[in-house]
Amino acid sequence: MPNEQTSVPLFTSGEVLTAANMNLSAGTGVPVFTNTTTRDAGFGGANEKVLAEGQLCYLSSTNVVQYYDGAAWATVGPATASAFTFINSASFSAVSSVSLATNTFSATYDNYKIIFLVTSSSANDTFDCRFRAAGADNSTTNYLSNWVASGASVSGGVGGTSKLSLAFVKASGVQALTLDILSPVLASPSYCSWQGRSNDSGAAVAALTGAGTFTGSTSFDAMSFFPNSGTITGSYRVYGYSNS
Amino acid sequence: MATATVKPTVQIGDEVREMNEVEFAQYEFDQAQSKIAAKELADKAIARQSVLDRLGITADEAALLLG
Repeated sequence: MPNEQTSVPLFTSGEVLTAANMNLSAGTGVPVFTNTTTRDAGFGGANEKVLAEGQLCYLSSTNVVQYYDGAAWATVGPATASAFTFINSASFSAVSSVSLATNTFSATYDNYKIIFLVTSSSANDTFDCRFRAAGADNSTTNYLSNWVASGASVSGGVGGTSKLSLAFVKASGVQALTLDILSPVLASPSYCSWQGRSNDSGAAVAALTGAGTFTGSTSFDAMSFFPNSGTITGSYRVYGYSNS
Repeated sequence: MATATVKPTVQIGDEVREMNEVEFAQYEFDQAQSKIAAKELADKAIARQSVLDRLGITADEAALLLG
């Protein structure tokens, strides 16, 4: 690496500065070292700068910038890549269907998490979803799903073949779902599993969990969520799971 | 005078609009399928009750016999 150096020189009074001396100082504002060993060896020796608070360096082996706080080196950046990345979100009010924006799912992530909150609905009915590609829902008969619930009036269901049945929304209550969507973009079956809560009779709460599959190999870039009848109000957030 | 059908509202990302023709056709198909499924369930419940009535037992008693 042309910027890497093995010492940070200290020039003495009356010393003649050579072109090499000047090139070394001007060539890099921040000293670049191969690793922490060469970094530590680069200070404090004969004709080397004494390490002091505020010193910066770059380590080429790990591609990080560090600073010395007077006692130890600390990394400035880049920040460690998150395993979980926010993609998009939206709020909706009294709509019959909610679709994630086109290209919410992309080649960047294989798997996704969706937090879906229905704060009110106009009818008591099942709550379903479909995968989506290029702005259109896929309503082919390739869906399999099943969910169970603990409630007295919300007891679970099996999805139709042209959609995934997720849960039950009640006009009097809130439905909260967290969904994991696996491999929607890959040329393979797409899977999802979810859990959540729904209002049951009166003030009671029903806990629910379910799983589903799109058995074809279509690549999808979004999903649509909709009650079997009526409208829903609420919000959603979508996150991507880092592949590594 | 003919009036245009008011289609349900959908939201895609942040865009809110009426269903287009394709979406509305799917919506109406889903509604029809849902009604058929609900009727099948109701018919099954009626048939089940009819059998229980002929046998003179309750659903719980029938479950005990099958258990």
